[in-house]
Amino acid sequence: MRWLRDMWTKEGPGIPKDAAKKHGLALFADIICREWWEMVKLNLLFILASLPIVTIPGALAAMASVSVALVEDRNVYLGRDFCAAFRKYLWQATMAGFIMSSAIALGIYATVTYASLATGELVFAVPLAISLAVTVFICVLACHDLVLMVMRDLPFGQRVRLAALASLAHPLPAIGAIGFGAALWLVHILLYPISVFMPATLNFSLGMFAVTFGVHRAAVESLSKVTSMRTSRESGAGAVARRSMNANGGSLRCIRIQSPGYSSESLPRSP
Amino acid sequence: MASISLKRLNKTYGPLTVVHDIDLEIADKEFIILVGPSGCGKSTTLRMIAGLDEISGGELRIGGDLVNDVPSKDRDIAMVFQNYALYPHMTVYKNMAFGLELRRAPRDLIDAQVTAAADTLDISHLLNRKPKALSGGQRQRVALGRAMVRNPAVFLLDEPLSNLDAKLRGTMRSEIAKLHKRLSATFVYVTHDQVEAMTMADRIVVMKDGRIQQVDTPQQLYDRPVNIFVAGFIGAPPINLLPATIARRGEQFVAIFDAQELPLPSHYDKARIAAYEGREVVLGIRPENFHELPPADIPQQHLAPFTAIADLAEPMGSEVHLNITAGGRNLIARLSPRFKVTIGSEVRLIADTGQVQLFDKDTERSILH
Repeated sequence: MRWLRDMWTKEGPGIPKDAAKKHGLALFADIICREWWEMVKLNLLFILASLPIVTIPGALAAMASVSVALVEDRNVYLGRDFCAAFRKYLWQATMAGFIMSSAIALGIYATVTYASLATGELVFAVPLAISLAVTVFICVLACHDLVLMVMRDLPFGQRVRLAALASLAHPLPAIGAIGFGAALWLVHILLYPISVFMPATLNFSLGMFAVTFGVHRAAVESLSKVTSMRTSRESGAGAVARRSMNANGGSLRCIRIQSPGYSSESLPRSP
Repeated sequence: MASISLKRLNKTYGPLTVVHDIDLEIADKEFIILVGPSGCGKSTTLRMIAGLDEISGGELRIGGDLVNDVPSKDRDIAMVFQNYALYPHMTVYKNMAFGLELRRAPRDLIDAQVTAAADTLDISHLLNRKPKALSGGQRQRVALGRAMVRNPAVFLLDEPLSNLDAKLRGTMRSEIAKLHKRLSATFVYVTHDQVEAMTMADRIVVMKDGRIQQVDTPQQLYDRPVNIFVAGFIGAPPINLLPATIARRGEQFVAIFDAQELPLPSHYDKARIAAYEGREVVLGIRPENFHELPPADIPQQHLAPFTAIADLAEPMGSEVHLNITAGGRNLIARLSPRFKVTIGSEVRLIADTGQVQLFDKDTERSILH
């Protein structure tokens, strides 16, 4: 029972305030080591929430929301936060999920079709390459869109534009994260039946965490651009308001600039 | 308003009484420290204030309200334990927020309180970590933070620094003292370390065998102890207690120890001393009241030569603790590190009797105060 007592009383090494911050893969591994149990619970929550099938997009969004908190090193009340995010993003995520999954399905269908045609005639290699690139791009865009959705309330069009810009600016981390997720499933298949519990314990949540971690930086940069644009617009509007006030002999006129659906949350930190 | 009043408070376990009819008034925003050796009843008293131990008799009032039968959670108090009592499966944030969660406080409020407490204690970078990763000092801060977030009127701290190493204890002592000033709350602090008590408290309660010996400011306790126990407990190295006989020399009194006459200063109440003329008393003289040379700032009539045998010199850097023997008694003198002495040889010191204490040999109570 000593280990149990040590859990309560044994001092740890301590965490220096000015310790060098970890980045990249070191940070990725550090968060996994620290939060692996939360990820197991998150995985189970995701599976439970996905049981009705149609709720999979909402469950994915909720899982992404929790993953963003893990990446940003914010406190998480897992059950409560997951349920809140699930309720909040269910419809948005379902709509976006339907559009994105349709686009990806179309891309895969086109890629498979052109691949089968390309085996007969080499000329179809060009549309094959294009359809493959487009499909990958849509996958990357979907990842960015999902993370942007849970990071900030934005209208669908603006969000997709930002996701597209982020996907163009930083496609590699997202591709790497998708590859990591795919590798998890590959390991599960290769090591079956030893790995029989992998999907139930880690595959979904770890995959989503990898995606969130991969696209987070690009998402933060996109959102900061939106913020700076909004700030410059507001300062411009302020100047207009001041000019208007002067023209009206000093009478106060309220001019309110508001981006629809844009919340005033502070920008998240980049890992 | 969070004054605390203990009236004839006692605690019994069957036939055993561990706290005997304690009377104590703690003012609002006061930092009071209960100090005493192990088993003196200080932690039991604190736990009765906290509501963790049932009160066997007497009255306990917090903010004027009788709280004998009020549950702990409704007393508007927060307690910090010696072993911190952090939940190992929760992050620092959740540990700190737990009390407010139980009270179903709004999440925004919890977040604001936890963030503010973390900023105050400089543990913002630890909020999402679990206690197993934290050092003792960091755990201690978290335990303090957990107490702070509830914004209680009274903080109860039960030997919170005992598990820390000496260096960290020194740092945390000053931090807790600063915290008290910042929070403007009533602090009741239990320790067996008299250095902690002397450096942090507005007033100190010295306890022994379940009874209060003296309640006073740290300096008053040091200068005017009411009995031998308080005199011996407060001060490091401890006061030298010597058997001496009171004798009259003209208008003055002297204490004779080992055939050496130590004049008692004229500002002492002669009527009290006169009652002990020719009788044996206990003479208390602090180690710093021995000098290698007559100090210029002490009146000559308070100084007397004192001869002893040097046993051991303990260099402390800024001073030397010289163990000496006189009249078959071991004494300690705090001297300058430049004072050179041959161990085993006779050493001639100057005793400043202006601050000596006299105690009744039988009652052990102070003759002077």
